Amino acid sequence: MTLEKEQKKNNLQKIFEVIKTMASKPSGLIGLSILLFHVILAITSPLYVPYDYKAIDPSLMLQAPSSEYWFGTDSLGRDVFTRTILGGRTALTVTFFGSLIALVWGGALGIFCGLVGGKIDDVVMRIIDAFLSIPWILAMLLIVSLLGTTTLVLIPALGFFYGKGIVRVARAATHDVIAKDFIVSAKARGHSNLSIIWNEILPNVRDAIMVEGAMRWSWMLLGFSSLSFLGFGVSPPTPDWGLMISNARGLMSFAYWAVLAPIFGLSSLIIGINLTADAFAKALGIDRSTKAPV
Amino acid sequence: MRTICKLISVSLVSLLFSFSLANASSGVFKLSHDLGFGKDTNLDAISKGRLFQVVIMTQNRLVRKDLKGVTSAELATDWSANADATEWTFNLRKGVKFHDGSDFDAEDVKYSLMRVKDPDIGSPAKKSMSSVTDIEVVDSHTVKMKLNTSFADFPLLLTDYRLRMIPSGSGDTIGKTGVGTGPFIVDKFDPEGTTILKANPDYWEGAPGLAEVHVIAIPDGEARVQALLTGQIHMNRYVPFSQKKIFDGNSKFNVSVVPTGNWRGMVMRTDTAPFDNPKVRKAVRLAVDRQELVDLVMGGAATVACDTPVAPSDQYRLKMKCPQNINKAKSLLKEAGYPNGIDMVIHVSTKEPTWPTIAEVLQQQLAKANIKAEVKMTPSKSYWKETWMKKPVAMTRWNERPADSALHEIYHSGAKWNESFFKNPAFDENLAKARGELDFNKRKKAYQNAQKTLWEESGTMIPYHVSKLVVTSSNVKNLDEVEVFSVRWHKVKMK
Repeated sequence: MTLEKEQKKNNLQKIFEVIKTMASKPSGLIGLSILLFHVILAITSPLYVPYDYKAIDPSLMLQAPSSEYWFGTDSLGRDVFTRTILGGRTALTVTFFGSLIALVWGGALGIFCGLVGGKIDDVVMRIIDAFLSIPWILAMLLIVSLLGTTTLVLIPALGFFYGKGIVRVARAATHDVIAKDFIVSAKARGHSNLSIIWNEILPNVRDAIMVEGAMRWSWMLLGFSSLSFLGFGVSPPTPDWGLMISNARGLMSFAYWAVLAPIFGLSSLIIGINLTADAFAKALGIDRSTKAPV
Repeated sequence: MRTICKLISVSLVSLLFSFSLANASSGVFKLSHDLGFGKDTNLDAISKGRLFQVVIMTQNRLVRKDLKGVTSAELATDWSANADATEWTFNLRKGVKFHDGSDFDAEDVKYSLMRVKDPDIGSPAKKSMSSVTDIEVVDSHTVKMKLNTSFADFPLLLTDYRLRMIPSGSGDTIGKTGVGTGPFIVDKFDPEGTTILKANPDYWEGAPGLAEVHVIAIPDGEARVQALLTGQIHMNRYVPFSQKKIFDGNSKFNVSVVPTGNWRGMVMRTDTAPFDNPKVRKAVRLAVDRQELVDLVMGGAATVACDTPVAPSDQYRLKMKCPQNINKAKSLLKEAGYPNGIDMVIHVSTKEPTWPTIAEVLQQQLAKANIKAEVKMTPSKSYWKETWMKKPVAMTRWNERPADSALHEIYHSGAKWNESFFKNPAFDENLAKARGELDFNKRKKAYQNAQKTLWEESGTMIPYHVSKLVVTSSNVKNLDEVEVFSVRWHKVKMK
């Protein structure tokens, strides 16, 4: 067995161990189960939804839940069950890839700033501070007003705005390891900055950044749903929880089913991601409140 | 005996006191406006940014519509025309005073109406007065209006909700003061906050039943419904029918359904491809199932329209049917050079709560004719400035106007608010012909021919005229169940 294969085997083993540790606690098990349930639903739901999500029918307006329409119908006569189980697809896709983008650019820039320090670090961090002072929702509204609400706009835009916080976390984690002997030795050996980042720093800050990324995912989900709620997320008739809540909120007092179903979908997914991120942090030995190893 | 006299005296005084209290203005009536014109909002009825919720309570017209929709006297007591209806003489009400204490007279009428024609003001109501060449002051309470054409329906034009009487020479300040002869006086004007009106005790129809009216800026339609539910406002005339069930059977609210000439629609700019081709516009219109829109969006409480802005109750309304015809729509698109259909973006906002729903239903209906519509939300606060008349396809809404005003203002090639940039010489010609025609039937035919042109070529899709759902708090009394411009506001009371 070559060294490379052994390394891969070790990595896989580590992943399984982390998952096993996460699932060993009730909260972690619940979180993982909810998340897995939503992911499976998002991937497979188009195969078995009972009705066309966009079929409008005046004769079926605001039907209460029944054996035919499990979650009732909305104000345009569309099946709420169909729209609810399809409603998480866009949100999960946009926020998952948005979080990945946030993780990559935020992590890379944070580590780079932490390593090089000096004026470059100062300038970049002040720019990040400036961006942090702008309310993200206003900036997002400006972007979607100018560029539209396609997923190709939403994913990078959300990825950018939610990556700012990761820059700070990655930089702080880098500062913790940069003074360690192995970094000094690598510098003395004449390794390039890129090599030091990839081989020495990244393995030591990766866990903290990933936990932060997981948390950003749930915040981004809430943010994305807020945009949809305001009408600036996905375009109708695409089923989306935020949009469904927005459309049905005025009917809450007499057609509660049209608003409760998407609320349940959204909140359960956020709870699932939060519990998973918590368990993930604990399994990696990171205290989420301080981002410090425990 | 002396005791009995005392008792009688005290009783009489008490009776008189209670009688005077019963007639005194009391209570605060709160309503909202949507801050549609942002910081340009003002109290000059003829300007683009007029806050009509205030103006209709502070200023009067010469002629108004009564509760049955017939022209009746307001500040003019009666009127007559010469033989060919090119000169109209109006006798004015005597003893009427403006809020600033000055007397209302013929000079004020001349000033108020002639400034509508002032090109520097650029009033959207200019078209309503375009036929008036001069206003002659015959005496202090008589005016003679001279028209450039015969116009048998001229008094109907004066019922336009913007043609209000203001003191002569007050044009520079009227936007902030709102001085008029109406039942309420502007106490504090705050377009982005709360505008406060106080009762005018000297109102010529009698002192108002309310002590104050508060007009509050609430830009979002949903927020206005919530404000009504929580008692922050006492009346909402824009409650979507989908929310009728919230108020039905609730003893805290009165719900009434008022048929109106108000309409919602979708504008396609006729100067922008592919909508510069009349066949494409007709295809879009044919692809729409209007009855389904009425049922889904209005819960059935609306009258189907075939792209005419003329109110269902108007004598000049063209009565026709326009069922959905997908095959015809597809073939028109093919003839226009779009065999695979077209893509379009419908711009909406929550400025009008039903717009997003209308657009969503349209999206499904149009898809059947290979017209792929994307619904794009835009900020409600800047909708009229940044979206309407700017984007190729956008939603619109208009309040009721007399047939002549509606057709002129929205479609005449020279109209300021020609939102679809519609230019059609035959249409303009029919309008001109109608105005000059003394024979009612011929006049009616000309107006209806103009509406036929709209069905064939216009850029505005009008699916229905709404029946308005007016919801008021149950402590609001004596509110006429008619469209907002005909309400006799001085009669309204708070229990």
